[in-house]
Amino acid sequence: MNYVERDATRSLAEALPHSRGRVTDIAARGEPYTWALGGALALGIVMIVGFLALVLYNGATTFIPKPITVVTLADGAVVAGEPFRSESYRPGPAVLEKLAPEVRARIAANDGYAGRTLYRIGNYDIYNEDFRWVSDFEVARMGHPTDLIYAERLEWGPFIGRLKSVHVGGAVREAASMPETELARLHGEARARWQRLRGIERSEIGAVNHQIERERLAVRKAEIAHGAGSAEARQRAAEAAIRIAELQREYDRLAAEARRLREQDRAVRVTLAAIGGEEKELALSALVRFYPANAISLTGKAGIYLSRWWEFLSDEPREANTEGGVMPAIFGTFAMTLLLVIAVTPFGVITALYLREYARQGRLVSVIRISVNNLAGVPSIVYGVFGLGFFAYVLGGSIDQLFYPERLPNPTFGTGGLLWASLTLALLTVPVVIVATEEALAAVPRSMREGSLACGASKWQTIRNIVLPRAMPGIMTGIILAMARGAGEVAPLMLVGVVKLAPELPVDGFFPFVHLERSFMHLGFHIFDVGFQSRNSEAGKPMVFVTTVLLVGLIFLMNISAIAIRNRLKRKFAGSQF
Amino acid sequence: MAAIAEMQSSAPATEYHAKHGDQGPVIEVRDFNLWYGAAQALHDITMTIERGLVTALIGPSGCGKSTLLRCLNRMNDLVDGLTIRGTMLLEGQDIYDARTDVIALRKRMGMVFQKPNPFPMSIYENVIYPLRVDGIRDRRILDETVERALRGAALWEEAKDRLNESALGLSGGQQQRLCIARAIAGDPEVLLMDEPCSALDPIATLKIEELIDKLSGQYTIIIVTHNMQQAARVSDNTAFMYLGRLIEYGETEQVFTTPRLQRTLDYVTGRFG
Ligand SMILES: Nc1ncnc2c1ncn2[C@@H]1O[C@H](COP(=O)(O)OP(=O)(O)OP(=O)(O)O)[C@@H](O)[C@H]1O
Ligand SMILES: [Mg+2]
Repeated sequence: MNYVERDATRSLAEALPHSRGRVTDIAARGEPYTWALGGALALGIVMIVGFLALVLYNGATTFIPKPITVVTLADGAVVAGEPFRSESYRPGPAVLEKLAPEVRARIAANDGYAGRTLYRIGNYDIYNEDFRWVSDFEVARMGHPTDLIYAERLEWGPFIGRLKSVHVGGAVREAASMPETELARLHGEARARWQRLRGIERSEIGAVNHQIERERLAVRKAEIAHGAGSAEARQRAAEAAIRIAELQREYDRLAAEARRLREQDRAVRVTLAAIGGEEKELALSALVRFYPANAISLTGKAGIYLSRWWEFLSDEPREANTEGGVMPAIFGTFAMTLLLVIAVTPFGVITALYLREYARQGRLVSVIRISVNNLAGVPSIVYGVFGLGFFAYVLGGSIDQLFYPERLPNPTFGTGGLLWASLTLALLTVPVVIVATEEALAAVPRSMREGSLACGASKWQTIRNIVLPRAMPGIMTGIILAMARGAGEVAPLMLVGVVKLAPELPVDGFFPFVHLERSFMHLGFHIFDVGFQSRNSEAGKPMVFVTTVLLVGLIFLMNISAIAIRNRLKRKFAGSQF
Repeated sequence: MAAIAEMQSSAPATEYHAKHGDQGPVIEVRDFNLWYGAAQALHDITMTIERGLVTALIGPSGCGKSTLLRCLNRMNDLVDGLTIRGTMLLEGQDIYDARTDVIALRKRMGMVFQKPNPFPMSIYENVIYPLRVDGIRDRRILDETVERALRGAALWEEAKDRLNESALGLSGGQQQRLCIARAIAGDPEVLLMDEPCSALDPIATLKIEELIDKLSGQYTIIIVTHNMQQAARVSDNTAFMYLGRLIEYGETEQVFTTPRLQRTLDYVTGRFG
């Protein structure tokens, strides 16, 4: 005993001078940790920046007009197209066998590799393919003739070739003899006429159809309410018949107008010739835009670039989504995210308020809290299944039974739609908001609450006047995170309302103007659809990048505005002195 | 009653020689015991607070001064696992009775905390907060209250031109005076102050002491302080607490010059604590 004690004191005394050595251990200085942390940070930044740069670069360059190369092959065939990408590959023995010996020797000297280039040749209606590989050894001659045009069409994708002649009425004129400005004027007129035609067919006739449908449903409703054949139903039917006759006249008038326009449209036509001489005649209005790809000036290029972006942002998709615009998808994504925020905020904040401020902090609350946190780890597709089963079929089905019996068996709310998609995502993201709100509430200094209570405020008054405003920046952070997560989510949406092509926007001019039951388009799903579900994924690839840029940009914009709001709130609490 | 008598006999006796005000007691504490969980923080506190006088609570750190003060307006209700036994009366009404309206009770007692805790709102909104929670909207009443309370807290001259600026832009001492203004804006009967000057410089401290002097008579003030000079300067009665017990409760002058117990003398002369 004694010995041990003495020994202990002695060793301590001896150890002391040594323990404060002059040279600090490298681990104690923490430098390896700093390096490791810095390295990890750098790696993370490089990955994020690299990803963003890749997406941005590809997205930004997609719409730049590219020159057209005409390649004459050794066997005499001619290929015209935009060079898309190049790579080296190893030609198979069957290919090699047919080659001239010196070419074969060159390939052999190159370890059996040869170069090849993918050309976007367009003219799908003629060639049955959009792209074609051309091996370097096949090429006899290459040129960039200035009379080639690149034309984007409403159907069949781009056309690459020559503009041969223009037909106006009965007259046929050689395109070469036609001043450029006149052609442009004709094209502008044709496009305007086509837009007008589409306007009549889509919105005006659509509106008439909508009203006729509404009359029909009103009759159905009266029949369901009063019984078929009852006096009320008959009266309603008679009223509807008058209205429908009126609407029918309106419809006929519009249809006649549309017919007239279509005839005019058909009278202005162009003949295009592919590089191999195959001719194609089509209405001038079917060309969205065309330009001489090899003779276009820099300002012309910029104009094409901007007009493509404008079309992309403001127009509807065509050609199975690989061309045209994504406006409905932008709108759908935005509307869904907005609804998601509107739904998730009260849910999350109220739950967190109860858990943090009112519930007795016991085992039950801990269990609930852990469960909520675990909810964030459930695969999102499971939420989609739940949303479809519960929201769409159970809730929506009941709503249909109660409020829209006249439309059955066609579902109104009883199928996927904007509302159900937003609620599903709200469910998916509510843990984020709950956790962030709880943190924010817990971070409100106790002294604030006590100060308020000591003034004679009730608990609710304290929460409303002091705690919530003070916690608002933290709550906003949660909402921002939820928003970012929700806007980028795709898998559950495929089950609860996102479609490849939505016929109507969820907001339009018909009462009640906002149609939450409608299915909608979404940028995330659009990426999936264009990139992996389309006829030609090679053609869709640039669109994938552009759409990704747009989605990232949209989320970025929404986040920026939310952050701006949060910072304004934060500034209110800054500058406190203690 | 027998149980109480028994408990009193088991506890060391408190020396009482407190001055009596001319309006009688406003608060009576009888055999008050308090436990945080299993740890007892207050033992058999019995004392009366005289109306219109300033009572100082002194004692070494952790002796239960804040606990006692926070019991008076039931601020300790927020603490989990709290047990109390004993009686506290505000004008004869039991503070801890189940039927007592805690909110109404707190409206009768303003409280100033150790650290200034202005709300993140304008100076004006801070001062009228007690009226806001009462639902008073009359601009005239609010304006009057702001001026009266800020004058009362000796902040009017400094703040009158920036009433709509954030209260967080004030200096620490100004913030504390703002908190005092807020506490007196609701016109309470009792003002509870827990070390109101501990975060302040000597000049701000002096201002607040002058303020307490001015407010005494009008309000009943209970002030917790570690500053012996301050206690001596501002208070009429002083209660010395030690390890959760009330040791001596008497007229301030006597407590500081000729205390009846050695322990009090040791503490006030700085020999321990
Ligand atoms: N919320 C609490 N939970 C548990 N114990 C507490 C709590 N508040 C105070 N105590 C304990 O009660 C005792 C009295 O604390 P109190 O704050 O009343 O002391 P005090 O006299 O105000 O001290 P100081 O002068 O340092 O402010 C201390 O031992 C403290 O640790
Ligand atoms: Mg204290």
